[in-house]
Amino acid sequence: MGEIKVGKYIILDDRHYTDTDEWVKIEDEVATVGITDYAQKKLRDIVGIELPSVSQEVKAGDPVGTIESVKAASDLYSPLSGTVIEVNEELEASPEIINQDPYGEGWMFKIKIKDKSEAQRLLTPEKYIEKIRGE
Amino acid sequence: MFKTPLSSIEEKIGANFGEFAGWEMPMDYTSYQDEHMAVRQSAAFFDLSHMGRIRIKGKKEELDRIVTRSLSAENFRMIGPSAMLNENGGFIDDVMIYKISDNEFLMVTNAINREKDIKWIKSNSSLEVDDLTFEYVMLAIQGRRVWELLGFKTDLQPLQFVLNTTFLGEEVFLLSRSGWTGEDGLEVWAKAEVAERIINKLIEKRVKPAGLITRDSLRQEMGFVLYEEDIDENTTPVEARYWVFDLDKEFIGKEKVEEQLKDGVKRMRVGFKLQKGVRVIPRHGYKIKIVGAEIGEVTSSTYSPYLGRVIGMGYVNSSNAFFGFHASIDIRGKEYRAKISDFPLI
Repeated sequence: MGEIKVGKYIILDDRHYTDTDEWVKIEDEVATVGITDYAQKKLRDIVGIELPSVSQEVKAGDPVGTIESVKAASDLYSPLSGTVIEVNEELEASPEIINQDPYGEGWMFKIKIKDKSEAQRLLTPEKYIEKIRGE
Repeated sequence: MFKTPLSSIEEKIGANFGEFAGWEMPMDYTSYQDEHMAVRQSAAFFDLSHMGRIRIKGKKEELDRIVTRSLSAENFRMIGPSAMLNENGGFIDDVMIYKISDNEFLMVTNAINREKDIKWIKSNSSLEVDDLTFEYVMLAIQGRRVWELLGFKTDLQPLQFVLNTTFLGEEVFLLSRSGWTGEDGLEVWAKAEVAERIINKLIEKRVKPAGLITRDSLRQEMGFVLYEEDIDENTTPVEARYWVFDLDKEFIGKEKVEEQLKDGVKRMRVGFKLQKGVRVIPRHGYKIKIVGAEIGEVTSSTYSPYLGRVIGMGYVNSSNAFFGFHASIDIRGKEYRAKISDFPLI
């Protein structure tokens, strides 16, 4: 795993990204999802989170939760289709973990992937860097 | 967009900038929750250079008719908070007024209203108005341990001020014992290069930098209003329960204020507290309900780091202002219990 610095933002080279600023780490049939360092810095202090439920069926691009920051409430989207198999319950009591460690302890939910080919539509780290440079 | 003249030193000490009322200002440095607790437990400083600051010269009687608080207090006192109202009693702005003499005053306006206020004063009087906003910057130093950290105790009483004095060995234009956080502290107007040196000295004294997000969460705990969020030209001081007027003098809008005091108002401003552990924030315009009926709307809300819960304020029908009762707030289609509370919320 390598860190790429783009200005004050960190991007990791071992995962995929979305246009809506989620990161996805795919290991076999399971995708772990969180929001990027860029997203958490833009949102500033995150004070609350609503996560999807375990066993929930989700589709790629669906809003599945809400991130409450002091600035605004933002939708959290599922990057892939599948079934939610685990959510990071710790974030409900301590959402500030997302600000402190967006790529690690701040992960949000895991999906059992339905269709692996959907991953081809996700952004590579290079494409995601282009996206945030353009904003 | 205007930029604070202190941006380069603030960038060096870690500011994250954002837009507020047409100004690029420090929003936070580390986390607003840490900065907030620094004010409640220790001390922090804020850059408030975006706020409008004007000098008004002319007959006291003319200004007295425009502002809601009596200007008859002794010199070198802040007459505030005060307000300027339209004929319908709606807020043109809520302001702080510094009385230098019977014919000279300083006024601090909300950033967003600076030009409107100057125009309002000029169109309602023959007073001379100079805009000092870009001549000086403004810092606030606030907190429970402010005197301990600064290493001195001021002779100034609350709402007193001095002009052309020294602060931390630097020559400043104005020093007042005032603030908007609910804690003790000072506000300073100074030239930008002087303020940079003051910032360095404050950091040496372990007074933390804090941004505008923190200022917002602090004022909400106290129940202080923010113009355009909680008050505007369609809200009156009576509805806002913002007692910024003196009825023993004449002022624009007084008739409406008196009428409302006599007849009562249809809606009034209240505070609310969500239950502990609920981490959603109702935004401006979200509905407040009691047993399914809509009784009002939220105007501003935040997560209070001091109370560890979501708090806020809004307007409800006066006949439904049941303090201590649990109403509910509709947040994106889901209802959350909210205790209707009086101010301050801490």
